[in-house]
Amino acid sequence: MAIRVQIPAPLRPLTGGADEVAVDAADLGSLIEALEARHKGLKDRLCDASGNLRSYVRIFVNDEDVRFLQEKATALKAGDVVAIVPAIAGG
Amino acid sequence: MLSHALEEYPFEACGVLLAAMKDGQHAVRAVRVENRETELPRVRYQIAPEELMGIQREARKQGLEIIGYYHSHPDHPARPSETDRRVAAEGLSDGVFHVVIGVDKGERATPTAWVFRDATQAFAEEPLEID
Repeated sequence: MAIRVQIPAPLRPLTGGADEVAVDAADLGSLIEALEARHKGLKDRLCDASGNLRSYVRIFVNDEDVRFLQEKATALKAGDVVAIVPAIAGG
Repeated sequence: MLSHALEEYPFEACGVLLAAMKDGQHAVRAVRVENRETELPRVRYQIAPEELMGIQREARKQGLEIIGYYHSHPDHPARPSETDRRVAAEGLSDGVFHVVIGVDKGERATPTAWVFRDATQAFAEEPLEID
């Protein structure tokens, strides 16, 4: 069983319209690389030039914000659900 | 959505718009969300990502998905502000709908609908009908 990654609508043009993709990876960093290999351009939307998660993106693993886990080093296992959620704000 | 904007006056109200999956154009439900902006809640809003994730999870169970957001402008025009545009341009906003509700003196709520496009880095107005 792979890891299920939920894709928010603004990123679906990069996944061929798929709202969920299945990926095998041992941690979040390698999951992002695996996503990039299959859906070019996704990494740039999730990470800045230094490779850190962008401030407007929140990633949750099984409902836990990875900022409170080990960020990109957060370990993953088969069956985990990874949700990509945009940070929404304005004036 | 409109009553929410009036109730929260003089502070900004905000929420999430849900549509049926594979439709994507017609919001069927507006979900109220707490404005988490603590410093300038009269002129700013923030939606907590964990709350958004919970809404996204419940929506998927019902065959719905998030297509956009709404927020109010107390005593300001019913159109996206420069702050709205700048934040949208920095974020994941391509094709996302935003309803902006101008609230005049806490008495009259005027909604307009917009969609943000990365290509133009701007909001374009969309027709809006509220049942």
